[in-house]
Amino acid sequence: MPDRRITKSKYTADRGMPGAFDGETVTRRRFMTGTAHTAGAISASAFLLPALGFAMGPIFEKKEESWQDVGPVADFPDDNYVPKTITISSGIGEVGKSTVYMRKHNDAIDGKRKDEYDGFVAISTRCMHLGCPVSYKSAAQRFICPCHGGVYDFVGRVDGGPPVRPLDRFYTRIRNGQVQIGPRFSVNQELRRFSPRDPGEALDGIGQYLYPSRPSIRKIPNT
Amino acid sequence: MNQREKEQYLREYMALKSAGKPFFPYAVAKDSLMACVVMAAIITMSLVLGAELGPKADPTTTTYTPRPEWYFFFLFELLRVIKPAELVPLATIGVPTICMILLFLLPFYDRGPERRPERRPIATATGIFVIAAMGFLTYKGAESGPPTQIDMPTPKAVIAQGPQFTALYEKGRQVVAQSGCEACHKFGDNGNDGPGPQLTHIAKNLPRQAIARTLVNPTAPMPSFQALQQKDPAKFNAMVTFLSQLK
Amino acid sequence: MPKLKLPAPPLPPGFPKPAPKRPGTPKQKPLDVAAEAGMSVVDWVDERTSLSGGARWMMFRKVPKGTNWFYTLGSATMFAFLSQAVTGVFLAMYYRPDAGGGAYESMRHVNDDVFLGEFVHGMHKWGSSVMVILIFLHMARTFFFGAYKYPRELNWIIGVALLILTMAMSFTGYLLPFDQRSYWATIVGVNINGTGPLVGPYLSDFLRAGPEFGATTLSRFYAIHMMLIPGIIGALIGFHLYLVAKLGTTAPPWQKLPEQYRQVEEERA
Repeated sequence: MPDRRITKSKYTADRGMPGAFDGETVTRRRFMTGTAHTAGAISASAFLLPALGFAMGPIFEKKEESWQDVGPVADFPDDNYVPKTITISSGIGEVGKSTVYMRKHNDAIDGKRKDEYDGFVAISTRCMHLGCPVSYKSAAQRFICPCHGGVYDFVGRVDGGPPVRPLDRFYTRIRNGQVQIGPRFSVNQELRRFSPRDPGEALDGIGQYLYPSRPSIRKIPNT
Repeated sequence: MNQREKEQYLREYMALKSAGKPFFPYAVAKDSLMACVVMAAIITMSLVLGAELGPKADPTTTTYTPRPEWYFFFLFELLRVIKPAELVPLATIGVPTICMILLFLLPFYDRGPERRPERRPIATATGIFVIAAMGFLTYKGAESGPPTQIDMPTPKAVIAQGPQFTALYEKGRQVVAQSGCEACHKFGDNGNDGPGPQLTHIAKNLPRQAIARTLVNPTAPMPSFQALQQKDPAKFNAMVTFLSQLK
Repeated sequence: MPKLKLPAPPLPPGFPKPAPKRPGTPKQKPLDVAAEAGMSVVDWVDERTSLSGGARWMMFRKVPKGTNWFYTLGSATMFAFLSQAVTGVFLAMYYRPDAGGGAYESMRHVNDDVFLGEFVHGMHKWGSSVMVILIFLHMARTFFFGAYKYPRELNWIIGVALLILTMAMSFTGYLLPFDQRSYWATIVGVNINGTGPLVGPYLSDFLRAGPEFGATTLSRFYAIHMMLIPGIIGALIGFHLYLVAKLGTTAPPWQKLPEQYRQVEEERA
């Protein structure tokens, strides 16, 4: 292989070119090379960048906050869960729905109420390991995941298996005697609220910095 | 490989190549026959096994047991085996990414001139180990039953005690399967091996009374079944009966 | 009108002069005419493209002594890919990437109503398994024969990229029928991507086109499965094949050198 590292002087005058003058570095050939590269880059990015932006757009689009009725207050006991079906994404029918397990807030289990959004406990059925559908087993008072063996206790905290954080919850409120269910939020092992994260993303320790919240979905401010 | 070894390889290769036969038709004939075998395999599988659709996608389900396509079973089993929550990112992206990088860079860290597998013991052993590990994980992933049922055959001793006892045993099996015990215990091929002990042969070590006592008054983190005993003694009895027959 | 006869065009030097017809030359039969027409079409194309040189280089290169059935695994993988591409195109004629029920419905229609529908669907479905098996066998052959070593390092790297793309194809493919397995496998797969530190959450938003599984998630996977990855795979297969032809396939590592060459080599040493 020839040694390409031998460099000539960058000054045209040093290379003995006809018509060179002192201090000139850009020859006609160098100028045309630069033009070819620049024009090529501009024309390629003219279709690549808009396409990329088009595909990435949804990352920055904020999801609308919506509330939906799930039933009257009397439907929900405070020592057992009732499954309810809610719509998560609209426009795709059955596939946009999900199941939540709901019960009334119980001071003995959940501690004192903090604000208007925690009158009811609404637990998501997405396993926080990788998103499989968990089910509530009332005999054992546990949430069980069928995929990789995650187990959660009565309030949704991790009891065993690989899940990285407690089951996600939903905001709830009462309007006109109806319990309403709102946006999802994530909780850490102390059940503190965080903006929604995807399954598999830890929130304890440095987890909340490793997996930042996304602009597309946030918790209700100041809650 | 240094320059001398490179040149020697190229010389040897040229010698072998010049002693060889043209690609067309000798190698192409083999390739085409192989293509026929491949197509025969695909068509046979399509005709015999068909392309049945499963039930329609239903995100509201709480009873479906998701399982991947067979060629992802080794990843699936990896996710099941790596239990501690801190290691989850390692199982999901850590190990696959490291494996991919190691594969990509193979020609750069294995630079020896030797090509015969029996004279490259480390490479050959590693290759066989990786294949065996993937095969083992695929097998384990394929046979892992859903944790909401127990597939063990009913023992002969139970059937011998009459249909009434068998019915009680089967009811107990159902209660145990649906109570989430398999989240921590293993029964035959179903359930997770740990954190709780395997229960496949639990009655060998524990008499019936002890099993009932443990269910009511367990050591943490196992939940107590005292509430079940008080609310629905028949179910609790069935559960104890089932467990005390696992010999 | 007198018959106008044009003079014969001057031939460039080196061209053989057409032989004048002699009495007793056998008359051309229709079959000969057809064969000649075929040849002249090939000649016509070759005169304008000079492809015959490349084809000769590709097809009549020698493969080393000892080339055996293990060396058919690569071409078998490529053949499985071609079969996948063709059956995939025909499935796409019936498939609707509509998460609101259309996708499942269209696949049910293919299976139940379309002539040979379940057969083609089955070929595509099982073809993916066959392709995955073949690509792994091909890789194992390359590994154990040491065929990734000098001078074929780059071909190994392209091969690994093809392996990963094949796995990505099978993953994006099995969301499309939109049954329970498809749906949950996709959820798990997207969340696996999401566990990557820092960029993970954004990556899974990108794959799903939003924070939850939504109306455009399915069409996104469809586009990736249909166009993006097959395009890249096609291009990489082309490059892979070019390098195979240029560098030649390896001989089995046990292959003995020809006798006369061994003498030369001993003299060198």
